[in-house]
Amino acid sequence: MDKGKRFDTIRARIKENFVLSQDKIYADKNRLDISVSKQRTPAILFFCKEQLGFIHLMHVGIVDWIEDGTLELVFMLWSPTEKLRVYIRTRLNRENPVMENMDMIWPQLNTYEREFKEMYGIDFKGLIAAEEFLLEDWDGPPPMLRDFDTEAYAQEVFHTRPGREDAQDVREAIIKRSQEEIPDFAKKYSRQ
Amino acid sequence: MQNDSRSQKIVDIIQAYARRHSLWILAYGTGCGAIEIPSTMTSRYDAERLGVRGAATPRQADVLLITGYLTVKTLKRVIRVYEQMQSPKYVIGFGSCAINGGMYWDSYNTIKMLDQYIPVDVYISGCMPRPEAVLSGFGKLQDLIKAGVADGPKRYEENFDWYRANQKKIIKNWNFADYNW
Repeated sequence: MDKGKRFDTIRARIKENFVLSQDKIYADKNRLDISVSKQRTPAILFFCKEQLGFIHLMHVGIVDWIEDGTLELVFMLWSPTEKLRVYIRTRLNRENPVMENMDMIWPQLNTYEREFKEMYGIDFKGLIAAEEFLLEDWDGPPPMLRDFDTEAYAQEVFHTRPGREDAQDVREAIIKRSQEEIPDFAKKYSRQ
Repeated sequence: MQNDSRSQKIVDIIQAYARRHSLWILAYGTGCGAIEIPSTMTSRYDAERLGVRGAATPRQADVLLITGYLTVKTLKRVIRVYEQMQSPKYVIGFGSCAINGGMYWDSYNTIKMLDQYIPVDVYISGCMPRPEAVLSGFGKLQDLIKAGVADGPKRYEENFDWYRANQKKIIKNWNFADYNW
């Protein structure tokens, strides 16, 4: 059976049980993307793991959609028998990101949740973990959010050694010295 | 021996000779620079012919080698290790990250000037320094010991309040033991 048909079958089975806000098959990339509401996420993860054979959690990604005011979680699942991937996407409110704890599905989710809690401020209700994970003694805002100005924070908190104020772009300095011209394709990266 | 200045001078010379030819290092391999240590120690560059070799614990070590960047979290451990080491002790900052933050200059969690927190005797520049540069750094440290100016513990003791204030500025949850100096 070819890949597209197998994906159709999987999509149909998921659609029987869940209302999907969006779904798309990327057969060339070997993956099916589906978006669900945050309330249905644990159920669909359970369903994929127990019923469809997507037993392996490859990775959990997070995207900060500051323009839409949401944080998107992407659960990437892999089926060793089907050799297919399913990406399950869900969006949380950026102002008050709350989600249920899901580490009973895959124990390694615990680690991801701890990291998201620290770096993005997502509150996983019922998560049992130590208070501090990667950041110690941190009392600022979650540092991986896009509106956190890491450079300003670093300038304020850490001592800066003088001497970098006149730092030059290496490529431009060399080109200036050798009297060459920046090629057109590189001009958009220019600092000047 | 009478403790007059001339005999003390002879003792200093002998001490400096002994110290600079047995630099036992405690490699604090937090960053990528730790990968240059094996090549420095093994047969091609063979740092042991200069008396440089590894030590197992902070109390046996003479040189604290900070190989690469330090975060707030690891700086805490470095301070603790440094204070556990026995005098005479020397610190070598290794790579551009220890000098000015290197590529982590705008990171929210990486310190940029190691000498604000512990006294550093020698910096080795490079990203990463090759074993030749590392050996040259150790040579420089030997020269400083010979000249009697590698006095990190003394500087640390004299400017202790300044160092502590800098350390406490970024380590907010301060739960260290207070040492008697």
